Amino acid sequence: MKTKLATIIALTFVSAEAHADRLVIKGSDTLGAKLVPQLAEQFKSQHPGTTFDIAAEGSTTGIAAIIDGTAEIGMSSRRAKSSEVGAASAKGRNMKPTIVAYDGIAVIVNAKNPIKNLTRKQVEQIFTGDVTDWSAVGGAGGKISVYTRNTSSGTYSDFKELAMKKRDYAGSSQKMAGNEQIAAEVGRNPNGAGYVGMAYTKAGGVKVMSIDGATPSIKSVQDHSYPYWRPTFYYTNGEPSGLARQFLDFTISPGGQKIVAQVGFVPIK
Amino acid sequence: MLTKRFVLIVLAAAFFGGGTGSIRAQDAGALLDLLVKKKIITDQEAEEVRAELTKEVSTTSAGKWKLSTPITELELYGDIRLRYQYNGGRTADGTPVGAPGPGVAGVHDWQERERERYRLRLGLRGTLADDWFFGIRLETSASERSGNVTFGDDSSPSSPGGGGPFAKGNDGINVGQAYLGYKGFKDITLTGGKMPNPLVTTLMLWDPDINPEGLAEQWKHTFNFTFGGGESEAAPTYSKEGGKEVVAKQATGEPFKLKIDVFANFAQFVYDDSNPENPLGQRALVSSSAGSATQQNGQLIPHTDAFLLAWQVGARFTFPKNIYAQIAPTIYNYTGNGDTFNIHYQGGDPTLTNSASLAQNQTGINSLLVFDMPWEIGWKLGEIPMRLFGDFAVNLEADDRAAAAGHPGKGDQRYAYQIGAGIGQLKVKHDWQIDVWYQHSDQYALDPNLVDDDIFDGRLNMHGIGVRAGYALSDAVIFSLSYNYGWRADDALGTGGTPIAIGINPIDQYQWFVADLNIRF
Repeated sequence: MKTKLATIIALTFVSAEAHADRLVIKGSDTLGAKLVPQLAEQFKSQHPGTTFDIAAEGSTTGIAAIIDGTAEIGMSSRRAKSSEVGAASAKGRNMKPTIVAYDGIAVIVNAKNPIKNLTRKQVEQIFTGDVTDWSAVGGAGGKISVYTRNTSSGTYSDFKELAMKKRDYAGSSQKMAGNEQIAAEVGRNPNGAGYVGMAYTKAGGVKVMSIDGATPSIKSVQDHSYPYWRPTFYYTNGEPSGLARQFLDFTISPGGQKIVAQVGFVPIK
Repeated sequence: MLTKRFVLIVLAAAFFGGGTGSIRAQDAGALLDLLVKKKIITDQEAEEVRAELTKEVSTTSAGKWKLSTPITELELYGDIRLRYQYNGGRTADGTPVGAPGPGVAGVHDWQERERERYRLRLGLRGTLADDWFFGIRLETSASERSGNVTFGDDSSPSSPGGGGPFAKGNDGINVGQAYLGYKGFKDITLTGGKMPNPLVTTLMLWDPDINPEGLAEQWKHTFNFTFGGGESEAAPTYSKEGGKEVVAKQATGEPFKLKIDVFANFAQFVYDDSNPENPLGQRALVSSSAGSATQQNGQLIPHTDAFLLAWQVGARFTFPKNIYAQIAPTIYNYTGNGDTFNIHYQGGDPTLTNSASLAQNQTGINSLLVFDMPWEIGWKLGEIPMRLFGDFAVNLEADDRAAAAGHPGKGDQRYAYQIGAGIGQLKVKHDWQIDVWYQHSDQYALDPNLVDDDIFDGRLNMHGIGVRAGYALSDAVIFSLSYNYGWRADDALGTGGTPIAIGINPIDQYQWFVADLNIRF
């Protein structure tokens, strides 16, 4: 009887331990498709028994998860909006941002497109639909196919703010689920134009545009000379604790930032 | 951490001490970016401060307003007015002669009304991304020519909602304006909807309460000219600045500057919608009662919409020393008839009983092709603004309009004119303004459905004087007194126009007085 009781107690502790080592992370596809999974793998190798539940469905879902309390870390490639911060406050939550990496939003075109540089004005014209043919921006001609992220994406709203003066995307633009899908479509379509995080510029068949002479690179993003740079965040409910604290500290540690650079993002230091 | 706390304190004091929260937070963002650029704080510290500010803003009243992204500017505005109003109209001394009784006005008998009223207008107007704009305004009263609600006039049990003292049956909220527009083309404004009047007008032609419905295209371009004056060549005079000798330039005199605003306004207003345009079976006929004296009995009721078209071109000349002059010649044309205004205008008849005279058509828009020319000249006497203003209008089809009304010899009753003078202005606290004018409107000169009903009860074939004096009790509160007195112009004709306050036609003499306390916000 005593043995049986001890077994039950032991199993109970094991179960509780296993639950405590599970970290739920939701949010940005930009961060969650490549970077955070690789950080998680490295972290797990250093913390055996830790499990991760990562859902990368857009920054809006990550911030909402912090407001709702359904994740410990919300990945976001944009800042929380005032309405989101207000909603969190109403629920007694405190949206705390921590910069975990920088990113440059790269404007990509098909590799066969002869254009190498665009001005910021031209980028605005292309993505708002003011310009619909490549010949209007010095290209060889052909109807521009604009690919954007979907509306829950932080990159979607960041690009509007950084590159489009907050104007609406062209009505004919096609909304893609993630960076990889945009890169794939632009790589297939000779008249395609899109934007992706820096980590996704190595896709086949695409070419990165320089903007007013500046190309997205670690240096140009860190010194903010590339116009479409942005910080990316982990959002937590106030100061994180426990496993979330450990994972955040790991992310911004030299080891974590090394992975940041390897994946194609820009380290914070 | 100390740096961040310091920055937060400074920003909080600077941005929440006053002003609009969301706008101030944007300013704070620019300042934070600058502090990061100067390496005074790190990106992370800036983000933490930004998050704190965003949190603070989100808990303020302004921060709780959520506006859609395309809105770039939004303005809430309106006014509330309390009014005492007196209207009085006197019957004629000719026919019909008889003792006052049902349907028969007596001789020189005054009908008078006194009312205490209020008016509320609440509007929102804003600009949108890509040069679009919009506006809405809610107003009390469904009348096109008034926003007034009379206290205590819905106490009857038959009033909407059952009546009773302090009932709400007449306190409705109506859409006074709902319009959208585009300003994306240089110097051009395009507007559609129920809009503020886009034309330069006067009270003689248009009641300012009317918000016409349809389309408007406005063009305005400013030309600046400078004649003479300026600086001379280097003059042989010297002075010392910072220990160095410099040449002091000498002006030969102030150049003469002339600014000319040239404008053109075009409007296509839907005056009356015919419903349906194509009815089942045979179209309805003009009934005998509606068109009895107009020879229209039995005619088919028109099945086309009625439109009011306006073409206006003009210019405002602004000279040095606040002197200006503006003129805006306009043509108004009516097309179609609609199903409401197709009966020929008659305007009343002094040879009939009062009720029969009132029963004549007062609203017809047949044979109206009106040329109008409002003008204004202004200058300053010391610091006091002064102005002369006026209007002249002529109906180029008055002969036909008079003939259709049964007075073929009265085609000369085609003119309307106004001339007045004003002094002062009402902009800020303690400002004052006085306007005095004379106005004359012939029976067949104007559209009786548009003229200001405050003046002569909205009637034609009247002339008289008006005076208005106002004082600004504060920047937002105006107290004003207005009075006008009018006489019938041609004793052989009625005073056409739908009775607004006084149920007499012809009105032989008329007077109107109001005391207004108006709060603008």
